[in-house]
Amino acid sequence: MSARRKIDFYALTWRLPIIVWQLVFFVGPVLFMVALSFFLVKNYRMTEAFEFVNWQRMLTRGFFWDSYWYTLFIASLSGTIAMSVAFPAAWALAFRASDTLRRWAVFLLIIPFFTSYLVRTFSWYVILAESGVLNAMLGYIGLGPFRMLNSHFGTVVGYLTLTLPLAVILQTVTMANIDKTLIEAARNLGCKPLATIWRVVLPLSKTGFIVAALFCFILAFGDFVAPFYLGGSQEPTLPILILDTTKSGQQWPRAAVVAIMMMLTLFTVAFTAIALAYRKPKGVR
Amino acid sequence: MTEPLVTFRNVEKRFDDFVAVRDMTLDIHEGEFLAIMGSSGCGKTTTLRMLAGLETPTGGEIHIAGRLMNDVKPHERDTPLVWQSLALFPFLTARENVEFGLKMRGVGKDERKRRALDWLERMQISEFAERNVATLSGGQKQRVALARSLVMEPRMLLLDEPLSALDANLVIRMQGVLTRLQKELGITFVYVTHSQSEAFAMADRVVIMSQGDIAQIGAPKDIYRAPANRFVAEFVGRNNILSGKVQAVDGDGTHILTPQGAFTAQTPQTALSTGQSVSFTVSADLVSLSTTEPDAVNKAQATLISEEFIGSVVTLFCEGVDDLEFKVQMQERALMALDLEPGAPLWLSWETQNANILGER
Repeated sequence: MSARRKIDFYALTWRLPIIVWQLVFFVGPVLFMVALSFFLVKNYRMTEAFEFVNWQRMLTRGFFWDSYWYTLFIASLSGTIAMSVAFPAAWALAFRASDTLRRWAVFLLIIPFFTSYLVRTFSWYVILAESGVLNAMLGYIGLGPFRMLNSHFGTVVGYLTLTLPLAVILQTVTMANIDKTLIEAARNLGCKPLATIWRVVLPLSKTGFIVAALFCFILAFGDFVAPFYLGGSQEPTLPILILDTTKSGQQWPRAAVVAIMMMLTLFTVAFTAIALAYRKPKGVR
Repeated sequence: MTEPLVTFRNVEKRFDDFVAVRDMTLDIHEGEFLAIMGSSGCGKTTTLRMLAGLETPTGGEIHIAGRLMNDVKPHERDTPLVWQSLALFPFLTARENVEFGLKMRGVGKDERKRRALDWLERMQISEFAERNVATLSGGQKQRVALARSLVMEPRMLLLDEPLSALDANLVIRMQGVLTRLQKELGITFVYVTHSQSEAFAMADRVVIMSQGDIAQIGAPKDIYRAPANRFVAEFVGRNNILSGKVQAVDGDGTHILTPQGAFTAQTPQTALSTGQSVSFTVSADLVSLSTTEPDAVNKAQATLISEEFIGSVVTLFCEGVDDLEFKVQMQERALMALDLEPGAPLWLSWETQNANILGER
């Protein structure tokens, strides 16, 4: 009997950089952040300690939970809107467009990512401002002016700037891979054209769609730019709460509590989503 | 004869400049097993898709049970199709696949479960009812696909090369299943295939298509024995094709002079004039072979080139005058008795009644 548990140094050498990178820049900081959440701040200076006071202060305060539920709600809302708005476009690109058109469309949808998200967000100022383009146009037909900046609306617009192109791309790629014979088979068995969407298309694109929705949610949930610049921190989202907490009285430990709560939430959501996305269909042993 | 179930009247289907089906006129009768056969791109699948409403004809009219169907949407038809890829829904179990069409028709939950299980039972796969279709074997999937279509109790079932993915043994078994089902149910089967053996084994009538046209319609035996034109003669079976000019037409038949000699063929329905160029066929299995000159009306000399052995039957390839290839099919036992070597000089002969003059095309 020979135990073959030799360490493959060659493979390890190649894997080492990524392992080191993860340890130094991810696991290390996370552990530090966890430790930080138990530190104390005295006279605006952090001191090492192991006290639960930060956790107790944050998790018993109404403003934290208000912010938490608001962030969860508005990120989910914008995710839902992104997925819904993206669907008709992605459907048309996947099933109606020629291969050439689809290639161009996906390419054009990638272009927004060439420019900084901050720049794209600021360009909404011109459009959404009180005296901006959109209000001017609405003015011609006797509407408005509407308050679009510094509102929930502004926040959602910002989130969509970030997530919508991604949602369209992921949905298009998912649906373009569907075997179109299955849609024809459903039609052949008496399924009306629109009904094929939820009878056939959605069940077949489940995995891709859940991953797309997950991405939209994650990006919005952790985003600072949209709620800060377009939402005007009206109702602070968790990223804004982190910034505020560090600014007011150097409360880095309490900011760490918020950050850990965010990470736990994202882990839970991502884990559930992936489990759902890859759940085996019925009748598979 | 009663009103046909399906009529195609001068049906045409174009895709941009490509004509997939051209001026097709065809009747399909209630309760018949019709095979549409041809090589890929001949328009056979397009024809089937037009019956299912998945393609709209660009010309002519298709009637089903007396109703003009040109613009009737697929989901408003009663024309279930069994797909080449089977197209089972991978996210559903076998039973749910079979129930799908009934669900679309608004059949209640218990009723459709009962009917689906009935059909799975009938197809002898009831033990797999609650299994996902991805976990089934090729033959089992085939049966689910058939059950999914037949549970709809249609007047006509469309089949698009459903056996092409199965291995040879299973094909023979499924052919038996299909013919038996068709006889038991008494419904019309329209079966598209490129396989001559499938078409001839199962169908009452065969439609042979070539480049969007119907080349011949007839019972398998008639097509095999009397191909209507050069395309069918070359496509079906093993035919010898000889070409020459008409010399005379009399009570014995039509006398034709070819480079290989003077022959007599059966006089066709259409009138032939002296001097006209014609071709005729003799099926390879109706050619007799001898080493000495036979006493026959139709005989030709040839040299043995090679032989092809497929079980009990052997095909001999011989070369006649002008490099014309002759094919002769005979029993392996009979060939053994002759004891031939390649290069051997031979005499080929056949009866006048087995020489069929081909039509124009």
